[in-house]
Amino acid sequence: MKSFFWENLRIALAELWSHKTRSILTGTGIVIGIIAVSLMSTLINGVDGLFEDSMKFLGRGNLYVEKWPWFGDEDWWTLRNRPRIELDMADEIKERSQYAMVVAAERGRSANLSYKELSAENIYIHGVTANYPEVSTVDVEYGRFFTESEDRTGAQVVLLGSEVAKTLFPQGNPVDKMIFAGSKRFRVIGVLAEMGKFMGAFSNDTQVIIPLATFNKIFHGPWGRRSITVKVPEHLVDDAKEELRGVVRVLRGLKPGEKDNFAINQQNAFRQSYQGIKMAIGGTGMIITALSLLVGGIGIANIMFVSVKERTREIGVRKALGATRSQIQGQFLIEAMLITASGGLVGLIISTLISMGISKFLFPANMSFGVAFMAIALSAGVGLFAGLAPARKGAKLDPIEALRYE
Amino acid sequence: MSLIQVKDLYKIYQMGNTEVRALDGVSVSIEKNEYVSIMGPSGSGKSTLMNLIGCLDTPTSGEFFMDGIDVATMGDDELAHIRNKKIGFVFQTFNLLPKSTSLRNVELPLIYNGEIKAHERRDMAISALTRVNLGDRVSHKPNELSGGQRQRVAVARALVNNPAIILADEPTGNLDSKTGEEIMALFDELHKQGNTIILVTHEEHIAAHASRVVRLLDGKIAVDELTKRGKS
Ligand SMILES: Nc1ncnc2c1ncn2[C@@H]1O[C@H](COP(=O)(O)OP(=O)(O)O)[C@@H](O)[C@H]1O
Ligand SMILES: [Mg+2]
Repeated sequence: MKSFFWENLRIALAELWSHKTRSILTGTGIVIGIIAVSLMSTLINGVDGLFEDSMKFLGRGNLYVEKWPWFGDEDWWTLRNRPRIELDMADEIKERSQYAMVVAAERGRSANLSYKELSAENIYIHGVTANYPEVSTVDVEYGRFFTESEDRTGAQVVLLGSEVAKTLFPQGNPVDKMIFAGSKRFRVIGVLAEMGKFMGAFSNDTQVIIPLATFNKIFHGPWGRRSITVKVPEHLVDDAKEELRGVVRVLRGLKPGEKDNFAINQQNAFRQSYQGIKMAIGGTGMIITALSLLVGGIGIANIMFVSVKERTREIGVRKALGATRSQIQGQFLIEAMLITASGGLVGLIISTLISMGISKFLFPANMSFGVAFMAIALSAGVGLFAGLAPARKGAKLDPIEALRYE
Repeated sequence: MSLIQVKDLYKIYQMGNTEVRALDGVSVSIEKNEYVSIMGPSGSGKSTLMNLIGCLDTPTSGEFFMDGIDVATMGDDELAHIRNKKIGFVFQTFNLLPKSTSLRNVELPLIYNGEIKAHERRDMAISALTRVNLGDRVSHKPNELSGGQRQRVAVARALVNNPAIILADEPTGNLDSKTGEEIMALFDELHKQGNTIILVTHEEHIAAHASRVVRLLDGKIAVDELTKRGKS
């Protein structure tokens, strides 16, 4: 029976070749459907990668005590009127929490920097405790981080993000140079390694880091972000979050029944909201794909019925010469599947090219082997489905009537 | 044992209220290496009988043995198998595949045989085409051949599988008389080489090539006799 596959493939190839335009038009629906499905999967994979990369900035075992929740639908005014986070809570939290391994505090706001005649505007000044490297992914490329005593004494030292370093020091080593932040002089003690962007948008490389005490000394006033990062064991993060909530409530003197006036944020919040967005995109993509494959499939079924009709006499001849029903059925099924599989292949090639373009100009989106395999299997499946009814019709023809057909 | 043994064969079509008795109790035996022509006026049941003997059709009732095998009760796939192995058809309208070369057309029965390798198929098809004097037309398509040449391709296709019987329904009906005689010479030759041939015709001079003639009338056998050639 194996030899029939090749024979039928040969017949199908010859047949499609002799109706080139018709074959191309028929396959176009499938091409579009496969482009939709493979591009959608590739994009989702790409965005997934981007997301996971971004999540690295927020350690899995990190809990962030902040005024504003990252997601949620609480009333803006209530949130706004919450008291600000007192960063000196950090020491108390460390003392009272069973789970806390590291407790770091940070503040931030933007300011303009300058070195000689060069300046960098709207740079995020990040005031952090000396243990900040333990709760984040910052990495010192050269120079060093500041010490605990520099933090305690409010030393005017600064580490530059890689972009900032490039702007202020286009050539030459920034370490030990003096720069200005506003009117204050800082000594550069290190440069941070390049970190990339968070969610493809906010660069981590346009910040500078100074000791928290120095920040407090220089920038008075209530503005800017304030956050206490509590690092806990990853697998206990849920228990730790509950405990932390209790600790902060006690420190803030909240009575039972009173609502929390702070938020404990974590990576999970991003994950959940990202999953939601992904499902929405994926769902829309599925509908588009399903529709275009359905329409493409109907087109193919239609053409196959025409093809069976046109070739009634041929079917009669083949049957008279000994072709069985299943051989005739196979012949038309393979023809239908050949149209859709070629359509799928073309669709795959086009979407590979498109995703290469996206990778080059937007974000990494590589066609995976799995997606390619799925696309081909799916298109062959559509062919099987669309070809079945016409193929059966052809296979069931009565040889005598088929031979008499004009 | 006869090659073909038909007993009380009926083929009845129900057309609304009237029934058409295409075959109305036919009994006939045909031996190996016989050369039989079936004659009769239009509508007398010649093609119906041919189709039954060729296993393209099943009877309403009656017995039909081929080589001792009961064919009357066979299913579709078994009949396809018998057609492939034992029958070679020649049609009035040639029935070649228009887009395929002579070679491909002649190869077809071998392809559906399923057990013959590609290069053997090719050799067998070329030798069949050579037997009908078309060894130099293997890669021509039907529309590049004359009517007589097309019918010779069809004859090559009928004999390539080395069938037990060659069935020809009005094989000269679409040919001029000279080409018709050429085709008949080919059948005479195949008969001489040991083939069994049954042909349908309504022309006496074509029927005269055979050694036996079966005359049908209204689905019944009216006459079954030897021809002049058969007697000699
Ligand atoms: N499929 C069919 N349905 C109904 N009647 C048929 C069918 N095939 C043949 N007949 C009838 O059976 C009779 C014999 O037909 P046929 O064998 O083709 O005659 P012949 O070949 O001798 O001209 C005719 O009356 C014809 O109309
Ligand atoms: Mg007839």
